[in-house]
Amino acid sequence: MAAKRSRQKKKKSANDQREFVAEAEDILERMFEDLSELQEQRHTRDEVDPDLVNRIFRSAHSLKGLAGMFGLDAIGDLSHHLEDILDGLRLGRISFDSPAFGLLDEGVALLATMMTGLERGDTSAGGDDEAARVFIAQIAAAMQAPEAQTQDELDELEIDSTLLRALTEYEEHRLRENLRRGRHISLVDSTFEFANFEEGLSELSAAVREVGEVISTLPSPGDAPESQIRFSLLVASEIDSDRLRDRLDDPNTNVEAIRRGSHPKRPNAPTEPAGSLDGPQADGADRSGDESADESRAARVEAPETGSLRSISDTVRVDIRKLDELMNLVGELVIQQNAVEGLASLLSSYELTSRVGAELTKANRGLDRKLKELQASVLDVRMVPLRQIFEKLSRVARRLRRDLGKEVELEFKGADTELDKLIVEQLVDPLVHVVRNAFDHAIEGPEERQNVGKPASGRIRISAFQRGNHVVIEVEDDGRGMNREAIRNKALESGLISENDTLSPGEILNLVFEPGLSTSDEVSATSGRGVGMDVVRSNLAEMGGMVDLSTREGRGTTVTITLPVTLAIIQALIVRIGEERFAIPLGSVLETMAIEPDQIGRSEGREILNLRGERLMLRRLCEEFEIEGAGREERQFVVVLGMGEQKLGLLVDRLEGQQDTVIKPIKGPFQDIRGIAGATELGDRTAILVIDVSTIIGDAVRRREAA
Amino acid sequence: MSHPEPNTDWESTARAAAGRFAAGGDREGPEILRELLVFKLDRSGYAIAVERIREVVRMRDLTRVPRSPDWLLGVMVLRGEIVEVVDLRCRLGLPLEAPKRSSRIIVLHGDAERVTGLLVDSVSEVFRVPEEQILPAQGFEISSVTEMCSRGEEFISILDPDTALGFLDV
Repeated sequence: MAAKRSRQKKKKSANDQREFVAEAEDILERMFEDLSELQEQRHTRDEVDPDLVNRIFRSAHSLKGLAGMFGLDAIGDLSHHLEDILDGLRLGRISFDSPAFGLLDEGVALLATMMTGLERGDTSAGGDDEAARVFIAQIAAAMQAPEAQTQDELDELEIDSTLLRALTEYEEHRLRENLRRGRHISLVDSTFEFANFEEGLSELSAAVREVGEVISTLPSPGDAPESQIRFSLLVASEIDSDRLRDRLDDPNTNVEAIRRGSHPKRPNAPTEPAGSLDGPQADGADRSGDESADESRAARVEAPETGSLRSISDTVRVDIRKLDELMNLVGELVIQQNAVEGLASLLSSYELTSRVGAELTKANRGLDRKLKELQASVLDVRMVPLRQIFEKLSRVARRLRRDLGKEVELEFKGADTELDKLIVEQLVDPLVHVVRNAFDHAIEGPEERQNVGKPASGRIRISAFQRGNHVVIEVEDDGRGMNREAIRNKALESGLISENDTLSPGEILNLVFEPGLSTSDEVSATSGRGVGMDVVRSNLAEMGGMVDLSTREGRGTTVTITLPVTLAIIQALIVRIGEERFAIPLGSVLETMAIEPDQIGRSEGREILNLRGERLMLRRLCEEFEIEGAGREERQFVVVLGMGEQKLGLLVDRLEGQQDTVIKPIKGPFQDIRGIAGATELGDRTAILVIDVSTIIGDAVRRREAA
Repeated sequence: MSHPEPNTDWESTARAAAGRFAAGGDREGPEILRELLVFKLDRSGYAIAVERIREVVRMRDLTRVPRSPDWLLGVMVLRGEIVEVVDLRCRLGLPLEAPKRSSRIIVLHGDAERVTGLLVDSVSEVFRVPEEQILPAQGFEISSVTEMCSRGEEFISILDPDTALGFLDV
């Protein structure tokens, strides 16, 4: 009993963790995006959007709260310390030049790593993590670094001290920041009817925001009549108070300039480390024990964001497994509907029931249409744009730039191209690998580049687009390209090929996908590539995808990845060999044709077909799977398979039509069957195996190369 | 007002419960019973713990899987799910025989989403046996037979399905 309960508890906590990861991933994703935007702003202009810093601060804060709720202390602690840094930045206690700022990126990356641990079901991750502890110590050290104190601008300001005291720390920081930038500070007083003051106030604020920033809004005491209420807005603007007054042009509104004292600052002074009334050290100590003050500050910042909160509630987070279930159900509906179709045509064939049969056929056609729509909408829910991956790639690039000291520009095209969520997730690793390779090996150092007349900064262009049922992603670099001779030599050395082999240039290039060749560092130094490309290829093959290479020595390399848009529902071509039937995903079928035995030619001991002047490699499915097929003298059908740049003609006995199918994994002790992607159910309740096209093509290409 | 027909389901449930009570009642102290599904393979009795069994279905059309070992008979569809069916005779090294009318497929609950069906010659009954009557099987030629018990005149070999299917070494 006790054991059972503990098991339940364990299961529950695994569920909890999944829930946590799902939610936390979104927050992290946003943090990554905002941080990269922040870096961008830091580089392109010398000013940083305060709302952006606020947003990252809130993300860290939410993450801390979330981790607390799930009892994940390490993640909570780390988020708390990141929040500290962000709070410091927000309030101007820490400058953007401080070492603490530099730790943000790494901290968020560390959080992501911990999250990945959790997702893998590692229950200890997130609860107690050595890496997090070490990193937190680093943050603490960076935060302690003394910051230069500057003269306090607020002392120079001719402003009512009660108003100044009413400002929150954040507002005070904004006031200081605006002063430093040499903006005009004004106090805008306005009186509103009590009945609708909110409206009036937001109109006024909006008008002010067109030319400046509302630092603080305070209800102001004064001689307003009973039914009215007065507000004071502390405003910073590029235009002076007189022009602001003209612009607002409202008899109920009074604009008063707040003048500076004797030492006005130079306008547009460069950003300096901000001073503060209380030192960072004293404040840090005070804050760590004072959680409630912290909460209230966060709440205050969140208040004006109600608009965006509402928009969040329009979206629903769904576990991808639930979508899979839904997808399966739709698939089964389709199968049921196929059965009804069969019944309808049976009824139609008897005279007595032909009318009912015709009616049923008609009704079934309507059902079919609606089912197709349902299928399409469920599929649509699973689709996500590649943008997410592209953002991840720019983060990787940023780190590589720092680590390798190379200047490389990343260009993205087609970020809106959509793919099935599951495919997108599995695509990250291979794609990162390819980009890292290009960065690390393909693109030369700045001097080498200039010596050959290239711009010092390298370029990697990543473009995605849809082609039929596939999505193509090209990663193109302008690096040194690959040296075929070096690859060939390496392959000879490692025994992959022999001296007598005559390989086409393309075949030599494809050798880098061989496991034996990929682990060598030498070839990557001379040829510019080859680390783990076999893993890239096998990862992509798992998703039914392919990878191709093309290169021009000295000019660059293009890696082309081809993937199916979705794995969930596919149109399949049903083929027969002897007694057996197989399904082939229609997305990979270029064409089919009947051929007579004498049309099959031979070249170097292998069967080929002359397809409109092109040599098409042939493969008999019966030989591939060692099953009994029709005799060689009989007329056969060729199914021309294409994936990426590779083509293969698959010989089968008969074609039996097309069908929508849901590929299901084969469940059992024997799951990995080479060349079989899974099984699917036909309308007649029999299982039929689905052919894994990328493996079959890949094997055929390799066989040709090996021969 | 007519008497309703006796509800046979209810009746059998009640009888079974009463029987269980009586069986446990004559002895002192509660008794731990193990529930086993008994089946035949090559005229010998075998059993698998019922907790491991999801359902028993009749033989149906199987789809052969190329490039798979001999003992994998093929795959079948079971309510939309694809299930691998293992020829248990072949897997255990017993003489092969084609499926008969009495043949059944025992579908197991698997770990890690693995669902497997075992083809057996016939299924006899669910047999309840007191824990202390179960003996460890020593020196048995089939390593996946871990325990034994007797059922009347007959010896029953209790099979550990995980070992039998080689889940442990896959």
